Amino acid sequence: MPSSRFPIPQGTLDMLILQILSLEPAHGYGIAQRLQQISRSVVQVNQGSLYPALHRLEQKRWLRSEWRPSETGRDAKFYSLTSSGRKQLKVEKECWARLTGAIQLVFDEDN
Amino acid sequence: MKRLLNWFRLRNLESDLDRELKYHIERRVSDLMLSGLPEPGARRQATLELGGITQVQEEVRDIWLTQWLRDFAYDLRFSARAFLRSPSFSATAVLSLALGIGATTAIYSLIDQVVLHALPVHEPERLVLIDWKGDGAGVNAFGSYNLMPYPLCRDLHLQDQFFDGVLCRAVTTINLSTSGDPRLAAAEIVSGTYFSVLGVRPALGRLLTTDDDQTPGATPVVVLSYDFWKAQLAGAPDVVGRKVLINKHPMTVVGVAARGFHGIDVGEVPSLWIPAAMSAQAIPGFNGMLDHRTFWMQVLGRLRPDMTLAQAQAGLQPWFKTMLDEDTRRAGFPAITPERRQRFLASTLELTPAPQGHSTLRRRLSQPLWVLFAATALLLGLACLNVAGLFLARGSAREREVSTRLALGASRGRIGRQFLADSILLALAGGLLGVVLAPLAMKVLIAFLPRDAAANALQSVINTRLLRFAFLASVATGLLTGFAPALQAGRRSLISSLRERGGTARGGLRLRRVIVMAQIAFTLILVVGAALFIRTLTALLTKGPGFDTSSLISFGIDPLRNGYSLSEAGRLVRRIHDEISALTSTQSLAVARNQLLAGGSWNNFMTIQADQGITTERVVHLNAVTPGFFATLGARIVAGRNFVEYDTLPEDRGGQRVAIVNEGFVKRYFEGRNPLGSHICIGTGPDARPDIEVVGVVANINYRGVREEWEQAYFPIGAGGNFYEGGNFYIRVQGPTGAAVQSIRTILRNADPTLPTVYFRTLDEQVSRSLNTERMLAALSGSFGTLALLLSLVGLYGVMSFVVTQRTREIGIRLALGATRLSTVWLVLRDALVMVTVGIAVALPCVWSLGRLIESQLYDIKPTDPASIAMATLILCSATLGAALIPARRASAVKPTEALRFE
Repeated sequence: MPSSRFPIPQGTLDMLILQILSLEPAHGYGIAQRLQQISRSVVQVNQGSLYPALHRLEQKRWLRSEWRPSETGRDAKFYSLTSSGRKQLKVEKECWARLTGAIQLVFDEDN
Repeated sequence: MKRLLNWFRLRNLESDLDRELKYHIERRVSDLMLSGLPEPGARRQATLELGGITQVQEEVRDIWLTQWLRDFAYDLRFSARAFLRSPSFSATAVLSLALGIGATTAIYSLIDQVVLHALPVHEPERLVLIDWKGDGAGVNAFGSYNLMPYPLCRDLHLQDQFFDGVLCRAVTTINLSTSGDPRLAAAEIVSGTYFSVLGVRPALGRLLTTDDDQTPGATPVVVLSYDFWKAQLAGAPDVVGRKVLINKHPMTVVGVAARGFHGIDVGEVPSLWIPAAMSAQAIPGFNGMLDHRTFWMQVLGRLRPDMTLAQAQAGLQPWFKTMLDEDTRRAGFPAITPERRQRFLASTLELTPAPQGHSTLRRRLSQPLWVLFAATALLLGLACLNVAGLFLARGSAREREVSTRLALGASRGRIGRQFLADSILLALAGGLLGVVLAPLAMKVLIAFLPRDAAANALQSVINTRLLRFAFLASVATGLLTGFAPALQAGRRSLISSLRERGGTARGGLRLRRVIVMAQIAFTLILVVGAALFIRTLTALLTKGPGFDTSSLISFGIDPLRNGYSLSEAGRLVRRIHDEISALTSTQSLAVARNQLLAGGSWNNFMTIQADQGITTERVVHLNAVTPGFFATLGARIVAGRNFVEYDTLPEDRGGQRVAIVNEGFVKRYFEGRNPLGSHICIGTGPDARPDIEVVGVVANINYRGVREEWEQAYFPIGAGGNFYEGGNFYIRVQGPTGAAVQSIRTILRNADPTLPTVYFRTLDEQVSRSLNTERMLAALSGSFGTLALLLSLVGLYGVMSFVVTQRTREIGIRLALGATRLSTVWLVLRDALVMVTVGIAVALPCVWSLGRLIESQLYDIKPTDPASIAMATLILCSATLGAALIPARRASAVKPTEALRFE
C-alpha cells in the first residue's frame, strides 16, 4: 500500500454517517472527528464532502436536524437518525456484508 | 407547509448553512490552536480541510435544487393526469388564462416596439437627445418636436470632450422615382455623421460620410434602406451607382444600410437617407440648411464612455452661452424685444437619454399604451382570481382525497406544492395558447393605429423578448392563482374532514368570497375606465370638427416635389380647381395651404394693432385659403365679410392685404371689442408691421385635430403675390361620392399623369383617422370591461351556487318553520350584496386615484365624473345581482321535506 491513508470508497460515506448517528445525535464537526477516531486515521474523509452528504441524507428524510447548545455552549446543528434512516442503515449494512462477502469469495477463488 | 415555505425562504436555508459551516470552522480552529498552531495558520488549515467554504455551499445548494426539481417534475406529471381527467375544468381555466396572457402579451409587444426597444445600433444606451430649452428666437421652424438648426449640430459635433460624435436628422416625404412613375416615399435627411455616430454598417456599397455633407447641393448621393432595396428593387446586386430621381433631381445610390436598421424613429421608417447638403433638393423651396435661426432637425449625440449625462449637460452650458452671444451678433438674427432677448440668452441645452431614438409616434402613443397595458394587467389579474376561485371549488371537491393523503403521511407542504404545480401547469398551458393568440390580437391593435406607421414600422410577430415576457407572465399567473388554494390545502383538522361526508365540506368559502370581492373591485375599475373612454370618443364624434363632414372629400398634391416651379404649380392648381368646379357633381370647392385634421399646422406668433400694439401670448394657427373655403366647409362667417376673388390679387393690381380670424382669436385678444378694421401681421418684434386688415370673423372650426380649440387666422391664397401656396383641395359634392371621386381622379390624371396624390379621402375618414387613438382606447377598454364583467359574474355565480347548496338544509328548516319564499331569496341576495358592496367600496378610492393617470386622454369629462361612475356601478350591481338571483331562486324553490330528508 503506497500510503497508510486511502480515500474513502465511493458511496460508503453515507453509510458511515448513518452508523455514527445511530449511536447518538451529533453535529457536523463531531461526526468528522468521530470518523477520524473510529477509522484510526486509516480512512481519509474529505471534510468538504461531509456537509453535502448530511444535507442529502436529510433531504431523503433519513436524518433530521435541530439547533441546540453543544458541549462548548454554543448552538450547533445536531443531526439524528429518523426511523426510516434506521431502516436504511440496516439495509445498507446487509448489502455491505453481502458485497464484501462476495468480493472475498472472488479473491479466495483466485488463490 | 414548512417545506413549501422553505422554497420561498431559500435565504433562510442559506443562513442556516452559513452558521453550520462557521461552527465547524471555529471548532476546528480552536482545536488546532490547542495543538499549538497560531490562529491565522489554524484558520487557513481549517478552511483548506473543508475544501473551500464556497465550494461546499455550492454543492449543498445543488442538492437542495435537484431534489426540489425532481419532486416538482413528479407533481407536474400528477397534475397533468388530473387535468386530463377533468377536461372541462381545465379548458375553462386554460382559456381564461390564455385570454389574459394573450392580451397582455399583445399590448406589451406594442409597448416594446414603440416605447422600450433600443435602436439596433452600436451601444444605443450612450445616445442622448440634445434639445434647446428656452426661446430659440427662431425665424423659421418646421417638423415635429425637439427641433434645432443644422449649424448647431455641426458645432456640437466638435465638442469631442463630451461626445463621440453628434448627428442630426429630419424626416420628410419625397417624390421618388427609381425607374417608372414617381411615388411618395419617406426619407430621412441626415448629417454626414449620422451613420458613423450610430455605428451602422453598410449591407452594400458605402454609407454617407461627412464628405457627402459639406457644400450645399454638391453631393447628390443617397443610401437606401435594406427593406426598400429588397422590396422595391428586388435586391438588385448592381444597385450601387444607379441613379434615382428625388423630386426630379437625379441622385446616385452609393450603398444600402444594414439589414434591420430602420432609422431612428419607429413611426417613420425611411426608404432612403439623403445628406443634409442636399436638403434644398429634398425639400422644395427650402434653403435654410446653414441658417442659424431655422429649426428643423433633431439632434442626437453619442456620449463619450467616460462621460455621464449630467456631466456633459453641465459641461456644455458655458460653450452654449458663448454661442448664444455670437448668435445675437450674427447677420440674420431677428430684431426682437429686450425681454425676448433675455429669454433667448437664458436658453440652455437639455440632454435626455435616447437609446430608443426620437419618435413622435412614441410621444403620442406611449401614454395610451401604458393605460391599456395597465388595463390588460388588471384583466389578467381578474382571470387569475377566477381560476383561483375554480381551484378552490375543485379543492373542496378534492378535500377527501387531500385528507386521505394527509392521513397517509403526506406533509401539508407537499400537498400545497402539488396545488402550486397544478396552477403553474395550467398557467403555462394558458401562456402557450396566449402566445398563439397574441399575433392575432396584435393585428387587431395595429389596425387601430395610423396606417402609415402601422404598415411599415410595427410588426405582429413573436420574438424571444416577447416569449420571455409571456413566460414570466405565465409563471407569475401560476403563482398567483395557486397561492390561495395552496394555502388552503389541508388547513382543516384531519379527523373532522374524514368524518364528514362528501358534499358538505366548506372548501375555503371565506377565501372564495374575498376573491369575488376583489374581482368586483377590479371589474368596477375597468368598467369605469371603459365608460370614460367611450364617453370621450362619443363626445368627440358628436362634436365633430366644427363643420359638416358629410359628402366632403379632400385630396392633396405636391407639384413642387415633381419638379414644378412655383408659377407652374400655381397654374396647375388653378387648372385643376377650375376643371373640378365645372363638374356637375361639385357643389363647391376650395384649396388650402395646409391640410386640416392631420395633426400639424402652419403657426407663428402674431402682432395685433388695435388700440395699441400687442403680441400674441402663444402661436396662432395659420392657413391660406381660396375664397370658397368657408362656404365649402360650411363654416359660418359671424362678423364682417368672407374673402372675395380680388383679395387674392397682388396689391399692385388692386388686391388688399386682408385676413379673417376665428372666434377663439377674438375672444382671447379683443375682449368684446370689435376686431373688424384692426390690423395684424405674422411675427413679432420691432420690425413686425401690422398691415393686414381683419375683415371678418369665422366660427371656430378644428384645424389640427378634433380635440383642439385654438386661435386661428386665415389669409387669402395668393395675397403675398405668391400664387401657389399649397395643393390641399376640399370639395363638397352632390350626388354619389364614388362617381365624383372617379371624375376627379380623371381630371388629375389628365393634368399630369406622373403627379402622385399625397392623400385622397373623405372628411369623415379624415376625422376618423385623427381619432384613432381615442377609438383604440374606447374599443379596447370597452371589451376589457365587458370581459371583466363576465369573469366576475361567473365567479359570483359559482360562489353563490355553492352557498345555496350548502345551506339547503338550513333553508329547508327555515321554510318548514314558516319563512316566506321571498325572505329566502333575500337571504341569498343579501349575501351577494355584501360582497358587491365591499368590492365597490374598495374600488372607488382606486378609481379616484387612477383617474389622474388617464386625465389627459379624456375629452370634456373628468376622470371622477359622477355620472360615469354611477353608471358603471349601476351596471355592475344589476349584472351581479342578476347573477346571484339564479341561485337565490333555486334556494326559494327548496322543498322543506326533501331538504330535511337529505339528512
